[in-house]
Amino acid sequence: MAAENSKQFWKRSAKLPGSIQPVYGAQHPPLDPRLTKNFIKERSKVNTVPLKNKKASSFHEFARNTSDAWDIGDDEEEDFSSPSFQTLNSKVALATAAQVLENHSKLRVKPERSQSTTSDVPANYKVIKSSSDAQLSRNSNELRKCSWPGVPREVRPITWRLLSGYLPANTERRKLTLQRKREEYFGFIEQYYDSRNEEHHQDTYRQIHIDIPRTNPLIPLFQQPLVQEIFERILFIWAIRHPASGYVQGINDLVTPFFVVFLSEYVEEDVENFDVTNLSQDMLRSIEADSFWCMSKLLDGIQDNYTFAQPGIQKKVKALEELVSRIDEQVHNHFRRYEVEYLQFAFRWMNNLLMRELPLRCTIRLWDTYQSEPEGFSHFHLYVCAAFLIKWRKEILDEEDFQGLLMLLQNLPTIHWGNEEIGLLLAEAYRLKYMFADAPNHYRR
Amino acid sequence: MAKAYDHLFKLLLIGDSGVGKTCLIIRFAEDNFNNTYISTIGIDFKIRTVDIEGKKIKLQVWDTAGQERFKTITTAYYRGAMGIILVYDITDEKSFENIQNWMKSIKENASAGVERLLLGNKCDMEAKRKVQKEQADKAFSSLARDILLKSGGRRSGNGNKPPSTDLKTCDKKNTNKCSLG
Repeated sequence: MAAENSKQFWKRSAKLPGSIQPVYGAQHPPLDPRLTKNFIKERSKVNTVPLKNKKASSFHEFARNTSDAWDIGDDEEEDFSSPSFQTLNSKVALATAAQVLENHSKLRVKPERSQSTTSDVPANYKVIKSSSDAQLSRNSNELRKCSWPGVPREVRPITWRLLSGYLPANTERRKLTLQRKREEYFGFIEQYYDSRNEEHHQDTYRQIHIDIPRTNPLIPLFQQPLVQEIFERILFIWAIRHPASGYVQGINDLVTPFFVVFLSEYVEEDVENFDVTNLSQDMLRSIEADSFWCMSKLLDGIQDNYTFAQPGIQKKVKALEELVSRIDEQVHNHFRRYEVEYLQFAFRWMNNLLMRELPLRCTIRLWDTYQSEPEGFSHFHLYVCAAFLIKWRKEILDEEDFQGLLMLLQNLPTIHWGNEEIGLLLAEAYRLKYMFADAPNHYRR
Repeated sequence: MAKAYDHLFKLLLIGDSGVGKTCLIIRFAEDNFNNTYISTIGIDFKIRTVDIEGKKIKLQVWDTAGQERFKTITTAYYRGAMGIILVYDITDEKSFENIQNWMKSIKENASAGVERLLLGNKCDMEAKRKVQKEQADKAFSSLARDILLKSGGRRSGNGNKPPSTDLKTCDKKNTNKCSLG
């Protein structure tokens, strides 16, 4: 019985104990032997360390890494000694209830209130632990809420690391996670980057290599050799680790917001004109690794945009057409009348997440919100595209032939756009999303 | 409303990624060389009206992305094209070898009898030339209607003349043979 309960607990628990070690099962490319070696070494350390005081520091490090595993061990002991087997269930229920309560009431109630809800319950160690988990999830919810309307420049790097899921919410683990992830990335480079000239990777590397100089060509930062090399490494490693899609043109654009934001951590002045040779090797390595991991997190959510036949894009362009036909019939009919197809202009909107339609600063602001929204890049983006299109309805309706419409839609005048325009765009997208989330058949024609 | 043109031609531009399709069309449609070129995603649309022997010819050009992954979207535009311009880079042998594949794509997707034009780009980089003119002539001699046309991407050497001039010349010489005529 207890075993069954604990199984349930495992399933529902958001965090697994000992989560610090990466899981490589069935991943591509195959397990890095050097990492395995470390893993085994560290594991064996666990067994031997209590006897050998010499290695105390590495043991402490390990213990810190896996402190959550020890916690759970304590829990289990208590469960077995507990008179009632329902403790675990009630514990899970409590934690869930606390979270639900918190989610529902966070607009009205101050954080202390929901905490007291949890501690009203006959307190024991587990309840306190649950509430600290809830605290973490409350903090991330709070962070998302605060970030949605735009993140201040000074805190954007750390906020993006957290929102993307790259950095753990638990403050104690952050430093180590960053260190480990950065080392892991440069492990990939060491192991795989030389293979770029091998025949089976030639096409991938060639495509990346010719696209790099064409990435934001008007921004001097991206024309610097050091920066271009960083981009090549990031894109190549990502591509060979994701063979289902590989590198697809447009993915190069998606690295740039991360790169600029993480660079801004070290640069006071104008980032777009900054000379990166002024930075230390260490700084550049951190920027590179963080950009890689955050970009990977982003792409994980939209990979079907880039697999064969790009089904994600096809689906979203269809959805956009459907949405526009319901929210602005006039624009929709105007397109039909002049035989403009949505795919002719919106393909790029999806493939490059509107990055080709907006100045880089606007994309960065847009991504504050995308990362704060659930499924921001994969789902909310659709509503942003619809709002973006409707924003130009007057200009669209003024054009009275196919070519005029297409030239307009391909070159929308956003060059002077800033936070204000993006803020309005997002507000409209949010309105659309809620209108249709609650009533999928709303305005059904 | 007065008719804005006498003839309308729909053209399509295909070829490997990076051979300079977009530069070519920008130079042709806007009559300038864009040094800050950017990769094409999916498809792009350009327009140009030319005056040929007193007639106003309107050209609608679909510029395509060269990467294989975009073929699903780009092949949809073959059918409506009246002329297809195949572009390779004279400094890149692979792009010339791939012309065969692009030809195959045309066969599979375009209307029968569509006009084709083979174009070796980047003639300003003569020193780096890998594909000889004779090679191109020989390989595609069976395609009587194909015209090998050299056009430099940049304003230097051979490329001084904008492609539009070249295209017009070829048109005059080859009336009924070239898609532009």
